[in-house]
Amino acid sequence: MHEFPVVHIGGIGFDLSSIIAITVSFVITLVLALLAVRNLSVDNPSKLQNFMEWVVEFVHNTIASTMPLEKAKRYISLGMTLIMFIFISNLLGLPFGIVTEVSESHHGPVTVAGLEIASADEVEKAHEDGKHLAYAWWKSPTADLSVTAGLASIVFVLVHYLGLTQNTRHYLKHYFKPYPIFFPINILETLTKPLTLALRLFANIFAGEVLISTILLLDVFGIPLLGIWQGFSIFVGAIQAFLFTILTMVYISQATVHEEGH
Amino acid sequence: MNFQWTSFLYAIIAFGILYYLLNKYAFGPLFGIMEKRRQLILQQMESAEQNRKELEKHLEEQKQVLQEARKEAYEMIEQAKRTGARQAEEIVQAAREEASRLREEALRDIENEKNKALAALKAQVGGLSVLIASKIIEKQIDEKSHQELIDHYLQEVGNRS
Repeated sequence: MHEFPVVHIGGIGFDLSSIIAITVSFVITLVLALLAVRNLSVDNPSKLQNFMEWVVEFVHNTIASTMPLEKAKRYISLGMTLIMFIFISNLLGLPFGIVTEVSESHHGPVTVAGLEIASADEVEKAHEDGKHLAYAWWKSPTADLSVTAGLASIVFVLVHYLGLTQNTRHYLKHYFKPYPIFFPINILETLTKPLTLALRLFANIFAGEVLISTILLLDVFGIPLLGIWQGFSIFVGAIQAFLFTILTMVYISQATVHEEGH
Repeated sequence: MNFQWTSFLYAIIAFGILYYLLNKYAFGPLFGIMEKRRQLILQQMESAEQNRKELEKHLEEQKQVLQEARKEAYEMIEQAKRTGARQAEEIVQAAREEASRLREEALRDIENEKNKALAALKAQVGGLSVLIASKIIEKQIDEKSHQELIDHYLQEVGNRS
């Protein structure tokens, strides 16, 4: 398996591949969205605008199916940003990979622009173990647990902030429903929500990328298989983006909507 | 696979900035346009409804106008018929009167002529009788007995004629 290039500045590790991937996803999402709204027209929308409006309708329906319409408007933006960013992130690692290899004869530290990725000791150790050192520079940002955890923690913080500020009494009471003895279970549930959110996304995309790099080992014989798997990965990426978004909306609606029946 | 706090934080920051930028520059205007379109469609539907109502009103008005025109035309025809009939009658009457007047005039003329002719005849017959009588009889008779005789003959002539 490929390593990811991590540089250390002042004792803090920076995963260069993740940072590159996030930046690229960020730029693509932003450019795509800005292109889509460049020539907005009421009566003669462009194809891209039509697509964006379809996404808006889609997210709107997703939200409206879990919370009242007038409340939903405020979260459509969030939902759209989530679904676009995650979908583009999921697809990012599919078309190609950039891998740099460290040759067997290489000794001493591996550096990038003067920053150390692997120390001389680590390189020597890898050589001694007969391990093949290679660094993957290109991947889906969502194939990194740190990134999906970041997204999930945004949702987590947002959900509980909204619950506390907009629906305080109901929000606090729901930890003791249906009986006070359920409090630990409710806490557990609250904690597992962002965890599953992050892990589900990460695992799906990471598994896809692992399988792609595994298929690449097959050389020429893997090409049809690779095509099939990449097509399936697009589907998985779309499903995961949709799932992440709709779950976020469900959590938000659970935290903010006061249910009269209770 | 290590958990990198920098990636974690970078993802959060990047997503936050992305959300802010998209919300401000992409989705805001997009929602605005969609809302505008909704308004436009609503407005168009309203105006279509209004147009339909106006059309209905116009149609009703036209129907009424047509009805009135028809009624007026009918009245005019009736009046023309009545006027025509009256005029015809008047003309016939006038003709009849003229005809009777002419006939009477003619009758009168005939009477006059007849009388005149009778008078002239009387006078000539009188003269001729005298002449014939004086020639044939050649007898001296006074004027008075002549006259009585003539009148007597003329009376007979008048009765025969």
